[in-house]
Amino acid sequence: MSEAHTGPQRALRQTMAWAHGWLGLIAGWILFTMFLTGTAAYFRPEITQWMQPEIRATAAAPAEAASSAVRYLTRTGADDLQWYIYLPDARTVATRVFRVPAKPDPKARGGELDLDPVSGTPLTARETRGGEHFYRFHFQLQLPHPWGRWLAGLCAMAMLGAIISGVITHKRIFADFFTLRWNKGQRSWLDAHNVSAVLGLPYHAMITYTGLITLVTMYMPWPVMMNYAKPAQFAQTAYGTPDDVPASGVRRPLVAIAPLVRDAEQRLGGPATRVIVQNPGDSAARVTVALTTRGAISARTPTVTYDGATGRFVARSGDPASAIQTAGVMLGLHLAQYASTGLRWAYFVLGLTGAAMVGTGLLLWTAKRRKPGAAPFFGLIVAERLNIAVIAAFPASMAAYLLANRLIPADMAGRAEAEVSAMFWTWGLLALVQLGVPARRAWTILFGLAAALWAGIPIVNALTTARWFLPSLLDGDMLFLAFDLACLAIGIGFAAAARVSARPAPKTPGRSRRSLEPAHA
Amino acid sequence: MAWRWITAVVGGYGFACAAAMLIARVLPAGDPIARVEATGWPMVLSFLVYAGIALWSLHEARLARVSAVVWGGALVMAVLLKLLGVRP
Repeated sequence: MSEAHTGPQRALRQTMAWAHGWLGLIAGWILFTMFLTGTAAYFRPEITQWMQPEIRATAAAPAEAASSAVRYLTRTGADDLQWYIYLPDARTVATRVFRVPAKPDPKARGGELDLDPVSGTPLTARETRGGEHFYRFHFQLQLPHPWGRWLAGLCAMAMLGAIISGVITHKRIFADFFTLRWNKGQRSWLDAHNVSAVLGLPYHAMITYTGLITLVTMYMPWPVMMNYAKPAQFAQTAYGTPDDVPASGVRRPLVAIAPLVRDAEQRLGGPATRVIVQNPGDSAARVTVALTTRGAISARTPTVTYDGATGRFVARSGDPASAIQTAGVMLGLHLAQYASTGLRWAYFVLGLTGAAMVGTGLLLWTAKRRKPGAAPFFGLIVAERLNIAVIAAFPASMAAYLLANRLIPADMAGRAEAEVSAMFWTWGLLALVQLGVPARRAWTILFGLAAALWAGIPIVNALTTARWFLPSLLDGDMLFLAFDLACLAIGIGFAAAARVSARPAPKTPGRSRRSLEPAHA
Repeated sequence: MAWRWITAVVGGYGFACAAAMLIARVLPAGDPIARVEATGWPMVLSFLVYAGIALWSLHEARLARVSAVVWGGALVMAVLLKLLGVRP
């Protein structure tokens, strides 16, 4: 589309259409995987629960869970520098604890542990990365730190640029709501792209910008350098964290934790979600309790800090500056931890429209350039094959990850890494194998395979665990029930895609009419 | 074409960083909270500046003008930042 650059007088709509097409193509393949894994990550704790079917812990109040966790931690890590205790809520069954030991033990595997909220004893379940894997892939792309985050940020910027240029390109944004011409080749892909993009536009714009804000301190930390000689000072004033108190070296037992949690809940006006203990067992111990994000959009919730040796109230984090509150709300809108189940499903569906928008945009790029009867040029072949590898093979590999969780023996060493490997081997192999088949057949075969893998999840779940469809239905286990049904629905969706892609190529619409319309991508 | 894209992506980021730093430095900051505001708002809004300058770099036909505004602008702002120094 270099013709857009011939004259000095170029219409804004034309250059923006050109920029939109290239930004979307270059970033699109990564953005598609980011949309899918990010959408899955809305159900991060639920996926983790499904991937550890052995755990059936009894619910406990935050204060009770905190005291049982502290009981365990005092026994096993009295000399630690810090304890992080993530309390269970409606979406998690276990108390998650994380220890920062005084002397790091290189042999010990990560200090993260799930505890039973009532007894405080460690829960034993199959090792898995659970929903955390999709969540991490969404912004780290399985690349070494910090490159994955930078690449994800660059793609998010391309997305922001593509949204702005896409909106400028559009003359008739309202009419496009109602325009979907089926089975007309390129015309249909353009309509589908417009419908998915315009319907979800507020969501897409919001999720892209707030996504950039989640890592703003990494992508744009530079203003801090101009206003603070010591950058740590910014964080301290901005988030109202009390000064760190060094350990005194004098041993003093920690006060009972449950009354502190209850007091904090009263002061903050809601259930506690997190307890941080600094210098446990020292006379300078500090206990910080944070309010749950449920009920407030902002992901940055207030905290109360106590003296751990006496139980004396030390400080409550103040109302932060408006810029920080804005960033907190943006973070909250992106993570959607505030959302109830219904809104969470709305987020999930909107996330899928995002993937559909990126996917149809990628297909449109190739459909526009395919000339009937002419041999495709090299770039078109590459783009088409990458489209198949990403749009059809990647979702299949996500199913492989979930299937691996059920098929790899529960007590195998290194099984968490094996599950992740299963996903990437599936993706890589499918991406290579499809090269041996004509493109149209490859679409059908891979969509069919994705359908089989997704629909296979409830079946494999039934064969390998006792928590399959019928018991879940009888026990009212909504999570396992919904998981089975969602996998089945996704499988049916891919089966439909396989059927559509197997149909003979549609007749190309009149080229003369199309060439009169403005270029959209 | 390669230079145009490098200017839009790399130069545009440099421009946005310099602009955010300059605005953060010159906004009034009488008390600790105002200083957080003066720092935080340019951080939060910088991505709009980046997107705007990058898309303009792709739109403007005269490449010399694009280079002058993006790289020159970033350079001028960098010199100003050097002269201003960290806020006391």
